[in-house]
Amino acid sequence: MLYKVCRLYCFTEADRQDLFQEIVIQLWRSWPAFRREAKFSTWLYRIALNTAISGLRRQRRLIAPTDPDQLPTELQDIQYAADKEEQLQLLYAAIDRLTEVEKALTMLYLEDRSYQEMEEILGISQNNLRVKMNRIKDKLRKITKAVTHGIGKS
Amino acid sequence: MELESLKYIWRSLETPPAQTPDRQDLLALLAQRYRGRGPVARMRRNLIGEGILMCVTYTPAILCYLLAFDGRLSAISWLFGLLAAAFFGYYYRLYRLLKEMQCVTCQVKSNLARQVKTLKKYIRFYLLAGTAMIPVSFSLSYAIIRWKMPSVFTYPSSPAGHSLYLHLHPIPWWGNPVFWLILMAPLTIGIYYANAWYINRLYGRHIKKLQELLREMETE
Repeated sequence: MLYKVCRLYCFTEADRQDLFQEIVIQLWRSWPAFRREAKFSTWLYRIALNTAISGLRRQRRLIAPTDPDQLPTELQDIQYAADKEEQLQLLYAAIDRLTEVEKALTMLYLEDRSYQEMEEILGISQNNLRVKMNRIKDKLRKITKAVTHGIGKS
Repeated sequence: MELESLKYIWRSLETPPAQTPDRQDLLALLAQRYRGRGPVARMRRNLIGEGILMCVTYTPAILCYLLAFDGRLSAISWLFGLLAAAFFGYYYRLYRLLKEMQCVTCQVKSNLARQVKTLKKYIRFYLLAGTAMIPVSFSLSYAIIRWKMPSVFTYPSSPAGHSLYLHLHPIPWWGNPVFWLILMAPLTIGIYYANAWYINRLYGRHIKKLQELLREMETE
């Protein structure tokens, strides 16, 4: 899970390693205060996302931002291709275009977290989360430009 | 492609990093002296650095003026001592604010709100204390010199004309403070704006970004 957070919030391997290191340190420091009032996963996500989002790290971009038209426009075509890793890269490329908050929401959604747990992690009401999630789906659909088989189609 | 399918890809295709750190790696990572790269960690490091620099520069100055010159210039060492104490109070307050700034185990939204609130407090204190430092140090210097070296304010008897003029038109007791006040007012205003510009350059973008994130979380 920590690697996924690092992958979502950092563009280069060096930044990912830094963020990973920082999250591990924060986990280590916060562990003695963990009272088991919240689920362990909730606690873990809070620390990881707080470190990644509010840290607002100075990012080293590996490549210049790509034109949206060049992003995962062919997602529906490649889904049948053998290289699933490439699909994941395209998914990441699409998620890279979301804001920090949207990334967190998308990740929690993909991790199959319930709206209640998302609320506990992020502090956003469930209704608001649902609205935001729908908007993110639309946004991803727009980004991928796969109207019929778009990511956000639900 | 449905979002549900992406969930499947997300879980099934996630390739772990080439080198998954084992227990030993993690312990080594925790054991090493880690320098956080987050903004709060950077601010804390800068603050500690400034504090150390202040200690290194002020301590010899205080000792020098206290011990050298047969103690005749001890007033200056008093002045430096008071300034150092003021600086310590200032650094301590900033350090406390930095400690309060982050709560990684809190909900993301409340952590952001806390950061914005504390950072604003930090900036306000930084600006006000930074601006007040100059008039306060001037006033302190004036008070200490007046107390410890009153001879500075008594006028020499020669030249005769000068003394006669002062005799006829003595400077009232409030003359010197008013003169300093007139001198310091534009200086303080200038320092205020210079500080505000510098602080905005340092933290402006950061606080704006935090506020944007918070606004995004709050709005539907």
